Amino acid sequence: MKNRLRVLRAELAWSQAELAAKLGVSRQTVNAIETGKYDPSLPLAFSLARTFKRRIEEIFEAEGSLV
Amino acid sequence: MMMTEQTPSPNPTEAPIDPQSTHPASPFLRTEAPAPVAFASPPNLVQQVPVYSTWVTYRTQIEFGLAILAYLMVLVGSVVVVQANPEAGWRYYVVVLPMAPAAFVVWLFLRALARLDEMQKRIQMQAFGFALGSTALITFGYGFLEGAGLPHLNWTYVLPLIALLYGIGAAIFTWRYR
Repeated sequence: MKNRLRVLRAELAWSQAELAAKLGVSRQTVNAIETGKYDPSLPLAFSLARTFKRRIEEIFEAEGSLV
Repeated sequence: MMMTEQTPSPNPTEAPIDPQSTHPASPFLRTEAPAPVAFASPPNLVQQVPVYSTWVTYRTQIEFGLAILAYLMVLVGSVVVVQANPEAGWRYYVVVLPMAPAAFVVWLFLRALARLDEMQKRIQMQAFGFALGSTALITFGYGFLEGAGLPHLNWTYVLPLIALLYGIGAAIFTWRYR
């Protein structure tokens, strides 16, 4: 799954550690989500959306067909 | 019997207000935020790095270290006592005494697992799978080799083997998500 997390984080000048603290996860998890190696659960995706004040679709984009 | 207790006021808002919190100089007094000025100071660009204490950062390691220290102390104590009383009827109870602090280690381990976030839990799950599968292969394989004549190994080797393979698995799967 592609995402715009790194861009959104850069816009607010947050470090990975700062974002991780806001989300209540480890910095490694933020990094793995950013690099697309780990897809977050729905609750974590929602708290990401809430943290950036955006909709989930504005942050994540599914690769290929969803069906 | 006399009733000395006062009946409480039906409406709590009518209760007398503590003068300490209504005084103008009281820190409990609600004040309004200052109005924005024409030339506001620039935003604070200094990175706000959260401060983590040693306890927050190394809680798991500290807890495990102390629990394993307790285990080793009880272990050495029980070995000494049993060696001094090799024929005593109660030696079986003393020999299994170290399992009490060991059970505490298990409890700490489960609590440490519960504190992990979702990706870290996934990594631990994969490491468990790796450790379980490879331990099964190794112990079964050696069991067959024993049948063919290799020396018998003590059961207590199984746990260190699991721990070693679990560590290897955790390293492999942590590295995969980097």
